[in-house]
Amino acid sequence: MKTTDKTEHTPAGAAGARTKPKVAFFDFASCEGCQLQITNLGETLLDVLGAVDVVEFREAISEKYDGVYDVAIVEGSIGDSHAEERLKKIRERSKVLIAYGACACTGGVNGMKNGFQLDEIRQYVYGKDYKLFDSTPTRPVHEVVKVDYFVNGCPIYPPELIEVLKHALRGLPYTVPDNPVCAECKLNENVCMYERGVACLGPWTKAGCNSWCVNNGNICYGCRGEVKNPARNAAADVISKYNLKPELIAKKFEMYNKCKEGAK
Amino acid sequence: MNYHILKKDGLDGFIKKLAGQMKVCAPVAKGHGAFAFEEVSSAAEISLKYIPTILPPKKYFMPPREKMLEFDLNGDKPKDAANLEPEKLALFGVHTCDLAGIQCLNMVFSERPRDYNYLLRKENIFIIGLECNEYCDGNASCALVGNHYPNGGYDLFFTDLGDRFIVHVNTQKGEELAESQGLPKASPADLSALEKARDAKKHVFQNEIGVGPKLLPEIFARGMESKVWQELGKRCVSCGNCTNVCPTCYCFDMSDTINLDMKTGCRTRTWDSCQFETFASVAGGENFREERAHRQRHRYYRKFKYPLDKFYRSFCTGCGRCTRTCMAKISLKDTLKTLAAEYK
Repeated sequence: MKTTDKTEHTPAGAAGARTKPKVAFFDFASCEGCQLQITNLGETLLDVLGAVDVVEFREAISEKYDGVYDVAIVEGSIGDSHAEERLKKIRERSKVLIAYGACACTGGVNGMKNGFQLDEIRQYVYGKDYKLFDSTPTRPVHEVVKVDYFVNGCPIYPPELIEVLKHALRGLPYTVPDNPVCAECKLNENVCMYERGVACLGPWTKAGCNSWCVNNGNICYGCRGEVKNPARNAAADVISKYNLKPELIAKKFEMYNKCKEGAK
Repeated sequence: MNYHILKKDGLDGFIKKLAGQMKVCAPVAKGHGAFAFEEVSSAAEISLKYIPTILPPKKYFMPPREKMLEFDLNGDKPKDAANLEPEKLALFGVHTCDLAGIQCLNMVFSERPRDYNYLLRKENIFIIGLECNEYCDGNASCALVGNHYPNGGYDLFFTDLGDRFIVHVNTQKGEELAESQGLPKASPADLSALEKARDAKKHVFQNEIGVGPKLLPEIFARGMESKVWQELGKRCVSCGNCTNVCPTCYCFDMSDTINLDMKTGCRTRTWDSCQFETFASVAGGENFREERAHRQRHRYYRKFKYPLDKFYRSFCTGCGRCTRTCMAKISLKDTLKTLAAEYK
């Protein structure tokens, strides 16, 4: 492993004059649905493969690689000590690390585990021999290793991953939008879900997905995590305006936001 | 005065003929009491009775996301090209509040340096207004700002007279269209019917906050430290709905996107909102309007104070969209009433 000062401060794509940047995909506790989003990119995938050299990608190729990764793209949350060790090794071998998907960025649905006593949930999953199975509270990737870029969402919004990848290849910072999903939803001129009589987490959830779910007739489930400074008092007004039960909104937050990792 | 007549049963023919010449966009029902300007090809698709659309017609003048230029970093010197070929478009059924909104934006974007994208699009948009003979709903405050009557800003303007529309011609382009559509001239009886309809509106539309509009600049001049801003700040979601739907909000952000070849790309502008926490934050971490209260106050002053000083015109058109869309029930009329009460 030859990591000099020079390579550390060089954009991941700088080597690209002759060789394409080496990109590897990894998964931890997740459904691997974000990897599937990549395989589903269609024609854009050809452009991606023109710009980078994919050296590891369990869902699509069987090859392994033993050199330094220019970019490691990590899916999944960290829920046991084996995962923690493996992730740390990946970090050591990677110039740039991108956490992608709700599990990796905020803990995602795996965060629901943290709402239970650890032994209680271990017993529930593994039965009487649960002590043989290592388990730790769910952590997003950045609570274990340094993360350079985040691509939120369950699954990721593919155009955003492409944007982040391009930023990584050029060594530029990427700013995850810190406005509520409503900001993008309104530009798409959707009829507000609340007007349809349905509670939606758009007002508190980070934008960046182009209100993907609402565009397709679904509510926002809050998969991208809360904005840094969510409107705490607003829920009461929203609930009274639309005549909804407070639990409806609170419960919906539990699915993706149990790790309470709003700030990035 | 140049007026024509279009029988209501002739509207479908009018729209179809117009749609043969250019893209026609009009208010369309979206369900759940919401409307949006969308492309139509017949009168049946149009909602003649509608509350202000989710987004105002500004979306055709400055699209929510607009490509400004393309660049190419290949070669010794970077190259860029800003090519805009705006589509010919007719907007049908624009209410007087939204006509006022377009007039406001025209002033803003005609200032130097001129905004060529906006002005090019505007040149290619044919506007047909539609009069409201009654309120759309209780959120509107058009009478306060005098926008319940037409004040120009259109090519043709339709007023419903029961079985027919009386059509006011305001431009040469409007006259040409009226003639090509074979619309007969209005008779003196039609004109007196129009006068009657306008008279009836005097009783229907009344100042919605009970405070004279001439007092508003003074009320705002003294209202900077009003408690009402803290009240709004406590409730505001900072979602930007109020500014995105406002017919006179025009703030935008610019960003460059490079393609995967890392050589070519484009510059895009996207609507921005002063209600976003990031809007007034600058390098170094300072944020000039960090608190929601200050951001809400800024929004109101950008409607009722600053544009009056600069353009001698209220930039609130009274359409009521900000109140309608606010998740947290922040009401423009209530805010103005509270400010006015403190002033007394």
